[in-house]
Amino acid sequence: MSAGEAGLMAEFREAGPMLDALRAARAAGWRALDAFAPHPVPEAAEAMGVRAAPVAWIAVAAGLAGAAITYAAQWWIQVQDYPVNVGGRPLHAWPVFLPSAYIVGVLWACLAALAGMLWLNGLPRLHHPVFGARGFHRASEDRYFLFLDARDPLYDRARAEAMLRAHAPARVSAVPAE
Amino acid sequence: MSVGPALLRRLGWAAALSLAATALGAASLSRGGGAEAARPAHAPEPDGPGPAFDTRPVARAALRRRTGWGFRLALSASAFGVLVLAFAVGVLLLRGVGVWGNNIPHVWGFDLANYAWWIGVANAASLFAAVLVLRRHGLRTAVNRFAEAAALAAVVAAAFYPVLHLGRPWLAYWVVPYPSVQGFWPQFGSPLVWDLWGILSHVLVTSTFWFVGLIPDLATLRDRAAVRGRVAAARAYGLFALGWRGSVVHWHRHQAAYRMVAALVLPLLLSAQTVVALEFATTVVPGWHQARLVPHIVLTGLPSGLGAVLALAAVLRRTLDLDDLIDDLDMDLLSRLTAAAALASLAVYAHEALAGLVLEDAATREATAARLFGPLAPAWFGAVALVALLPQALWWKRLRTAAWATVPIGVLAAAGVWLDRYSLVVGGVLRERMPEARPLYVPTVDEWALFGGTAALFALALLVFARFLPVVSMFETRHEETEHEREEEER
Repeated sequence: MSAGEAGLMAEFREAGPMLDALRAARAAGWRALDAFAPHPVPEAAEAMGVRAAPVAWIAVAAGLAGAAITYAAQWWIQVQDYPVNVGGRPLHAWPVFLPSAYIVGVLWACLAALAGMLWLNGLPRLHHPVFGARGFHRASEDRYFLFLDARDPLYDRARAEAMLRAHAPARVSAVPAE
Repeated sequence: MSVGPALLRRLGWAAALSLAATALGAASLSRGGGAEAARPAHAPEPDGPGPAFDTRPVARAALRRRTGWGFRLALSASAFGVLVLAFAVGVLLLRGVGVWGNNIPHVWGFDLANYAWWIGVANAASLFAAVLVLRRHGLRTAVNRFAEAAALAAVVAAAFYPVLHLGRPWLAYWVVPYPSVQGFWPQFGSPLVWDLWGILSHVLVTSTFWFVGLIPDLATLRDRAAVRGRVAAARAYGLFALGWRGSVVHWHRHQAAYRMVAALVLPLLLSAQTVVALEFATTVVPGWHQARLVPHIVLTGLPSGLGAVLALAAVLRRTLDLDDLIDDLDMDLLSRLTAAAALASLAVYAHEALAGLVLEDAATREATAARLFGPLAPAWFGAVALVALLPQALWWKRLRTAAWATVPIGVLAAAGVWLDRYSLVVGGVLRERMPEARPLYVPTVDEWALFGGTAALFALALLVFARFLPVVSMFETRHEETEHEREEEER
């Protein structure tokens, strides 16, 4: 590992070569690496071994919790703490508790989907070393990038560069450490 | 506080005029921006071919420094309309709901009719956007973003009414359950309390749906602004992009979250429209105490939102030079959807007339006859004509891609749904088991100013959105184009 270097970044014009390079690196045993694209590339996420299911589970769990808490709060207020007799109707009139419980459950699930996605992704984040890579601003426009992190035990500048160059990138550049 | 009726009338006219100017201005939106956007997309890349997509025109439109006179005129007009809104709200707060035309039996007038209408616009626009995302439909790239934005603006406009119609709006926080020193709690059996949670959730879920889809595009704008050396703009966009760097891992979770939120929009919308309908159905007024109101309000809401999205799509593609991104096929499909929603509404109206005039009990038959053939007959028949019949013209292929046809049909369909809500709220209580004649509800100038004001707020929100944010989802466009390209290669 060379000093003052966060890793090596390869820039590709199309998604295909980036994907090939990513698969080759994973097959060679690389673990500390990341790929960047201007749009979702599901195959790349698959190659990285990432599943999106946790986002959905977080949302579903939060939704159920929100609905349960809302129902329980209504029950406690209307039956325990502030019972009001309205024309002799039962205090625990569950059908009228459902609209609020249902809607608030949906709200919790929705906010949890956003918060869970951000939390799993480690966002929001003010800065990241990859933003220092040359031409990285086009990762949000029309270029694909593969980043080999210097923290990976396999990292060796010459070997890493040879592996990236094998997939005909438009450019390979070192990313300065912050 | 004395506000002369003449002054109020003038303000009402001003609101109406500012709206008209907004519509005109929107039509010529960003010709100034267009000057920049009309430039050739970009110089050929020196380092060889790249991907098939090019979303730069969208980012360029959002980052343009100068705007045309049309945009500035529209912005000033809608900002003026928002001032009228502030004035109308101020008058209401100082003088009370007596400035409105409501009276027994018309306890609800513009307040509920307009609320139900705005919610309908919002719902149909969100529903449309959510279905497109869930079905990964190609049309989503073109119209999703501003369907979501229109929904958000409409919910904000709708949210004014339930608060203002309380009579003492400054006590609105009483419906929030908080541990007060008096030991009071709100009654959860009251539809007013359902409204609090319904509208709160509607605003937050609609904004989350819009924002989740916007995060990667904000990152694009951040990077484009930085490249152009516009540090302040880059920082502003970067703040809301939350440090998005386009990692494929992040994309994967982002897509899951986006689709999850889109899926959650569907149950929310059904409940939002249903709660509005239930507020009528839980009364004992014969014209309102109807199970059929729930499908009626949900289904007739569709042409209003689809019509608004259709008109917006036609205007935006023309004025922002986005013909490639919102193409004829997109307009064709959107028009057919509007026509199909109109057909469903036609069935709803036919059922209303048949059930109300023939099948129901005597009190309901009398109430329906009063509503259909009484003093508010033009509202009901106008609604049928504009919502259910006029959009049928869109089955004619040539009209579907012609802006001169889709813009008025879309706007008139939305206006027709407004007539429907007016007919329901005001016409629904013309006969409630009481034979005697009572004064008809007539909206006052203050109510018109309030309505015009919320419409101006809607327009202002959309203009600001079109000025600073990408009106087309850039990442979805890239995604779509790449998939398309791959399919062609495999063929």
